[in-house]
Amino acid sequence: AGGAWACGLLGWVRQERWLASGSLFPLSCIHTSTSLQRSGKWEKKNWVVYPPQLPGEPRRPAEIYHCRREIKYSKDKMWYLAKLIKGMSIDQALAQLEFSDKKGAKVIKEVLLEAQEMAVKKHNVEFKSNLHIAESLTGRGRYVKRIRYHGKGMFGIMKITRCHYFVKLVEGPPPPLEPPVTGFDQAKEYVKQLRSRTLVNTL
Amino acid sequence: LVLVFSPLPRLRGLLQRCWGRLERGLLPGFSGGQSPPWGPALAVQAPAFLPEPGRDATGSKEVPSLLDSILWMAAPKKRRTIEVNRCRRRNPNKLIEVKRNIDVCPECGNLKQKHVLCGYCYAKVKAETRLIRMEMRKKEGGPLNAPAVETVVLYDGEKPTEKDEGKRIIERARKRPSWFVQN
Repeated sequence: AGGAWACGLLGWVRQERWLASGSLFPLSCIHTSTSLQRSGKWEKKNWVVYPPQLPGEPRRPAEIYHCRREIKYSKDKMWYLAKLIKGMSIDQALAQLEFSDKKGAKVIKEVLLEAQEMAVKKHNVEFKSNLHIAESLTGRGRYVKRIRYHGKGMFGIMKITRCHYFVKLVEGPPPPLEPPVTGFDQAKEYVKQLRSRTLVNTL
Repeated sequence: LVLVFSPLPRLRGLLQRCWGRLERGLLPGFSGGQSPPWGPALAVQAPAFLPEPGRDATGSKEVPSLLDSILWMAAPKKRRTIEVNRCRRRNPNKLIEVKRNIDVCPECGNLKQKHVLCGYCYAKVKAETRLIRMEMRKKEGGPLNAPAVETVVLYDGEKPTEKDEGKRIIERARKRPSWFVQN
């Protein structure tokens, strides 16, 4: 009974406490999942536990990882929405998505609201507006091939595409935008680089 | 001979392979698009053999068949690299613009576009209108029975004034909503 309890505890520990310091259990590298059940690495990022912070350290901002899998939309079209909201505060992102005409906008809005709720309830975030989107990515889901019938007995093979959407929310105001690099700045950099050239291996 | 013709560029390879198999098996000559392996490759998608100039002296021209006409079509010469594709897809004119015309509705506090009615407030109005219309339908009883007089909607505790003499009165059993102003 003691052995079973210890095994149970070890199993629970291995799942819940994904240690950030890098000490993996020796047998955790065996691939046990088949091709039908994909291991979601993005979901596992939420299980990272950091050691307690020392008194003098600045506060580590909370990070919340959330994703939605197998959305019936194209990953290229979804990427435009992901690019739109990258780096925005969560309120601004929700406002932009609400008035976007794209199909993926509704899905991403649901994902963001879920992530915001998760942040407040489970990840010890004080203000739900104090979040910004650090990363937002799309990935390719499982495609299915079907026949598309044309006239005169011709056919084509069409792909039914699905995508995943990943988002990482970080507590705090959004980072200030870098000013876009102008041609004048690039020219100055080039001239500076030309001026800093020297002769190598000489006096 | 069953020919599968697909305009999709992906099946061009399939088509060419099919053609290759066919011509090796059945046709002794070349297919339309392939130049002889010992001769120079043509830059134009054209039949490798040209019709003899003296053949059609009378001037009657053959109607170009489907097989000949598909070989004169424009086709990409080289595969577009992912770098070139990215430059086209991520060009700023293809990215979605950030909308700057979003405000807060002063009535309900939801977001609204400046030139559009607030969605939440409109939905509230729509729901109330639907109930009023159901009352009207009950009063009329059937289609095409709309009276030729005006209609007045009265809520709880409201009496018809002398202005509403000849009008049809619809009763709604609730408090008057703040946005529905009484005349």
